[in-house]
Amino acid sequence: MGRSMRRSLLLLLMLLASAAFAPPLRAGDAISTEHADFFERRIRPLLLRACGDCHGDIAEPQGGLKLISREAVLKGGDSGPAAVPGAAGKSLLIAAVRYEGPEMPPDGKRLSDEEIQRLTEWVERGLPWPEATAETLASAKTLAEDERIAAAQKSHWSLQPVTDPPRPAVSDTAWPKTGVDWFVLAELDKHKLAPSPAANRRTLLRRLSFDLVGLPPTPAELDAFIADPAPDALPRAVERMLASPHYGERWARHWLDVARYADTKGYVLFQDANFPWAYTYRDYVIRAFNEDLPYDRFIVEQLAADLLPLGNDRRPLTAMGFLTLGSGFMNNQHDVVDDRIDVVTRGLLGLTVTCARCHDHKFDPIPTRDYYSLYGVLASSTEPTIPPLFEDPPQTEAYAAFAKELAEREKKLDEYLARKHAELVAGARTRVAEYLLAGQAQLGKPPTQDFMLLAEPEDLNPTMIIRYQLFLERTDRDRDPVWAVWHALAAIPEEQLSTSAGAKLEQLLSAAEQPVNQLVAGAFLGKQVASHQDIARAYADLLLAASKLPPAASGTDLAALQAAFTHPDAPAALSREQIGVLELLPDRKSQGERNELLTAVEKWRAEGAAAPPRAMVLQELSQPVEPRVFVRGNPTNLGEQVPRRFLRVLSDERTAPFVSGSGRLELAQRIADRDNPLTARVLVNRVWLAHFGTPLVSTPSDFGTRSEPPSHPQLLDYLASGFMRNGWSLKWLHREIVLSATYQQASADREDALRADPENRLYWRMNRRRLDFETLRDSLLAASGRLDERIGGTPLADVAATDATRRTIYGKIDRLNLPGLYRTFDFPHPDATSPERSQTTVPQQALFFMNHPLVREAAGSFWSRPDVAAMADEQQKVAALFCAALGRAPADDETAWALEFVHAAGDTAWQQLAQAVLSTNEFLFID
Amino acid sequence: MSMHHPTPITEGQLTRREMLARSGLGMGLLGLTGVMAGEGLLAEPAQAAGTGALALKPSHFAGKARRVVHLFMNGGPSQVDTFDPKPALDKHHGQPLPSSLRTERKTGAAMRSPFKFARYGQSGIEVSELFAKTAAHIDDMLVVRSMHADVPNHEPSLLLMNCGDGRLPRPSVGSWITYGLGSENQNLPGFIALCPGGYPVVATQNWRSAFLPGVYQGTHIDTKHTEIDKLIENIRNDQLSLEAQRRQLDLVQRMNQKHAAERSADPRLESRIESFELAYRMQSEASDAFDITREPQHIRDQYGEGLQGRQLLITRRLLERGVRFVQVWSGAGQPWDNHDNLEAEHRKLAGEWDAPIAAFLADLKQHGMLDSTLVLWGGEFGRTPVAELPNLSGRDHNHYGFTMWLAGGGIRGGQTYGATDDFGFAAIENKVHVHDLHATMLHLLGLDHTRLTYRYAGRDFRLTDVHGRVIPEWLA
Repeated sequence: MGRSMRRSLLLLLMLLASAAFAPPLRAGDAISTEHADFFERRIRPLLLRACGDCHGDIAEPQGGLKLISREAVLKGGDSGPAAVPGAAGKSLLIAAVRYEGPEMPPDGKRLSDEEIQRLTEWVERGLPWPEATAETLASAKTLAEDERIAAAQKSHWSLQPVTDPPRPAVSDTAWPKTGVDWFVLAELDKHKLAPSPAANRRTLLRRLSFDLVGLPPTPAELDAFIADPAPDALPRAVERMLASPHYGERWARHWLDVARYADTKGYVLFQDANFPWAYTYRDYVIRAFNEDLPYDRFIVEQLAADLLPLGNDRRPLTAMGFLTLGSGFMNNQHDVVDDRIDVVTRGLLGLTVTCARCHDHKFDPIPTRDYYSLYGVLASSTEPTIPPLFEDPPQTEAYAAFAKELAEREKKLDEYLARKHAELVAGARTRVAEYLLAGQAQLGKPPTQDFMLLAEPEDLNPTMIIRYQLFLERTDRDRDPVWAVWHALAAIPEEQLSTSAGAKLEQLLSAAEQPVNQLVAGAFLGKQVASHQDIARAYADLLLAASKLPPAASGTDLAALQAAFTHPDAPAALSREQIGVLELLPDRKSQGERNELLTAVEKWRAEGAAAPPRAMVLQELSQPVEPRVFVRGNPTNLGEQVPRRFLRVLSDERTAPFVSGSGRLELAQRIADRDNPLTARVLVNRVWLAHFGTPLVSTPSDFGTRSEPPSHPQLLDYLASGFMRNGWSLKWLHREIVLSATYQQASADREDALRADPENRLYWRMNRRRLDFETLRDSLLAASGRLDERIGGTPLADVAATDATRRTIYGKIDRLNLPGLYRTFDFPHPDATSPERSQTTVPQQALFFMNHPLVREAAGSFWSRPDVAAMADEQQKVAALFCAALGRAPADDETAWALEFVHAAGDTAWQQLAQAVLSTNEFLFID
Repeated sequence: MSMHHPTPITEGQLTRREMLARSGLGMGLLGLTGVMAGEGLLAEPAQAAGTGALALKPSHFAGKARRVVHLFMNGGPSQVDTFDPKPALDKHHGQPLPSSLRTERKTGAAMRSPFKFARYGQSGIEVSELFAKTAAHIDDMLVVRSMHADVPNHEPSLLLMNCGDGRLPRPSVGSWITYGLGSENQNLPGFIALCPGGYPVVATQNWRSAFLPGVYQGTHIDTKHTEIDKLIENIRNDQLSLEAQRRQLDLVQRMNQKHAAERSADPRLESRIESFELAYRMQSEASDAFDITREPQHIRDQYGEGLQGRQLLITRRLLERGVRFVQVWSGAGQPWDNHDNLEAEHRKLAGEWDAPIAAFLADLKQHGMLDSTLVLWGGEFGRTPVAELPNLSGRDHNHYGFTMWLAGGGIRGGQTYGATDDFGFAAIENKVHVHDLHATMLHLLGLDHTRLTYRYAGRDFRLTDVHGRVIPEWLA
């Protein structure tokens, strides 16, 4: 306190002193073009970017200092004036940016020397600060954003082009088996650590099997592999697994975490919460992995299969579930779009773009405007009521009957909505007087679109009232000549109208600065206005009369009147796509009528006799959304318009907007572009995480400026560049990883290495991994010999049921009612894309092993397996159990313990024994 | 100055880091022998430090409250019929109010309260006959008459009250608190939601953990059931006795220890060994916690035979065992949502709750637990002072002003806070937004709502987002 008081006194003295000699520029002096230009291009963007967050035009600026005008700079803040015109050496601002005294911007975000020089020059020039116009502000904002983006593009690791690094030198050139190993060993060398010896063959095959197909190897597979002396035994085993259809099931599940896959929408109003065909997306992902669909193509199909020339095979349409099977967000369309932006940007790019929904991203170079650029792309598509087929339906009579009935039901729904829309739009004209009065009454109140109010059937439509409210606000701000009379008269209190309206009107018509539409003026001249109703009535008569005339030549007063109904921004020019169903139908009665029709369609399309599955696609709106920024995320507070385009931080040609339709296909192509520095890196890191249990980049869905750099940057780039060069092939990536010496290391701890690197960030051993929920349940089924190996199809109602024997990936995921078992075993909640599963150890997991019928059932049915049931010898039985559950024979002491237990445990002894073995750590943890 | 957040925990890495940092190497096995030696310690919350995600964590500062119980009157009880008397309604009964705010449905004229109010306690606070027995504790209660929320619809208001945001998937208050403080009992879930007969509106979202690890999610218990195995998943083995299970578990642990010994110290292996012992004990302890027949008869008599009495008695037993957060719901759906027939419905609902709440508060006091237990009563919003059209026998939703009361846990009782307008429509004096309630609740628990953060999707999330202020007048 004392220090800053002294400083402000000092500054005050300096200011007084400096006032004695004339500064180069003083308030009121005209600013030369050169000064103005210098400020607009060099200073305003800089102040905005570097200081704006804390010292911009905000309610509580830091230290009371606002850098928003010359006066504000001279007035300064708690520490006194920020600058002395013409005297950089005496200016606190300059001292601060030089980090001499207060250090600004803080936290090491120090300005560059060049920037400091710029500011110094500005102070020396006498702080020229031309008055801001909307235009100069917008361009300064763009420049500031571009600077921030350019700085990040230059400095942040994940935005640098992917390189193909040469093999580093290593201490032992005999150790590496694939490219991976050179990079891992080089890091180990740096830390004077040696890799661990290779795991034994049994451990290795189990590891590979759980990893690649998510199931334990059969005893026969194990025996064959252990006995196989050929040098290519391992690669052959890997190829066998990669060719297994179960590989796709295992790896699809990893992807479904990213895709926030679920079979229901969660909590929704007035619609069926089920996604009857979500499974078609799940099956698409399984097939994509099994067929090694190039990842770039996988991306494009998931975002824009509807816009691709697909030819006869239309199955890729099902890929679009990636976008469409998110949560329902209680019908809030903005949240649905936000969720889609999130899954695309965090899921595919590792960027947390949705942080920029309400304000510019605090850490990453993602301005709010870029969020709304993507918003425009994704909001320009919608789900069709009847999604398309992706396979030719059977040409049967049953199908023909189904299709006919569906078309009829759909037609009824369409006609109903079309009628309601037509009524609303017609009402916006015929009841314009009422709407104007209602909109006027709302002026100044925040329009709240989330308000789910119920109206009566004969009421005005609340959304249309808001449109009229915003329309009146806009025409007032723009001094629209048609509405000048309205705004002049409607502001007069009702009781004074009859006395003062005439004078007000005359005053308005004689004022030069406010143009008035002559037709409106004519209608009001000499007219007795006694109430607001009278004003509204007069406008209504005029507008309705004008609307009945043929369209007038643009620029005429008549055309301006007609535009009040027909201009794209006019309240009455509301297209069907622009209004949500709840807004269109705000009353219970019509909601009920529509729901009945919709349910009829939905029920029939999903459950009608011979109903075929459909692809959960999006389709483009006939007219793409021209996005405007929602100021502070509020959809009724519209800011500037932005183009639909890609994130500027990932663009070279920053300003090029998308040109084709919504731009969704272009967006997909930009993400899947080889020059995109993030896409391959993000994917490679996810795959690495799934193989090793730890990622190279510790935040798999956030490669932004707050993420930790990769533990092995060159390795990440080696894999990313190789991945792309090899046709974006996942299977190439798997081979590169699992055939590496790094992956094949034993998982045993080593004292020395543990001390140096307790988290094994350097991969001096393999990580021991715990089976996730799916692999755990699948392995229980496999061990008991009950696993149903069929691929794909409609979901299982309950994976915890004892008679459910299909793999866990086929379980129905209900967002609203995720079974406790999923939660207990760390299944990520599908409300949002999941970067990584958490791993908790809680007693509820143990309770599952101890008491759940599923485990008991698995333990019991093991003994009914034909190969086991025939065994009479107790030792042989114990051995069979160990082989099936743990992939090894029991040690002598274990056999003795087991038999001792069996002999003491009564009737269900063998079942209890199997349950015990299935409950061991060895069953759950893979070395 | 930029914002600094202490020890942000990155998504997904909680347990790995925590485990390494907290359990240290070898502690699991030590813990195990301790556990095996100490049978019969089951009702002692003190044993609980534990490892992993539910381990006890230090608060930001000393807080008076150690646990929370939230009595959720879902559907929205009417403030002017319970804790916010409005004589002006009697005068205006049947007439339109000078100003009537827009709520979900169309409303008509003023509707007086059919219930009588009287003054209670030293403080003389007025309470309606509906809660006459509860009012015996009025000097321990803080009646907040100036609550307000954002919209007059159930779904977003429930989510706002429970998760601090009306729309987006955010963790619930109970999840945040369990995340912030851990649990005092590792044998029971840290956060339990009791709701008889099914789910309230928006179902499990009310107690979701969202981006926090699943272990912090509320465990729903359908208190319609009385048998223990229907209350907690997998809590009982219907085929093996505890002795037989012990024998089986001994075999598992024998193999586990051999397995662990061959692999040097891996804290995760040891944790899982420990978790089986905890689970084994939980079978008895959880059964015990939910078994109210173990209470003395005179206590059971005070709580009564009804469902709410049973819920509250279970609640006391859970709190006593160290459960951090218990939410007790009125029932499935929205029982208090009396658009029609309010007089009879409110009388019935309050009749179910009144005596049990009085017994519960007395019992907490008796056990010396009230000072450290924050009790919160209220709905997701209140109701209009005007009658709803067309039947004129009930009230519509009202988020502009409503009442909640708090007691215990560092609350200064015997006072009202804030006020609504003359008719009880909108809060006008000392307005309290739901975010402020949350901030103050966390404060009472020793947590700074601006510092209880979780890093997810690129930023540090808080229960109160960028809002909320602690209300000093509430603090004892």
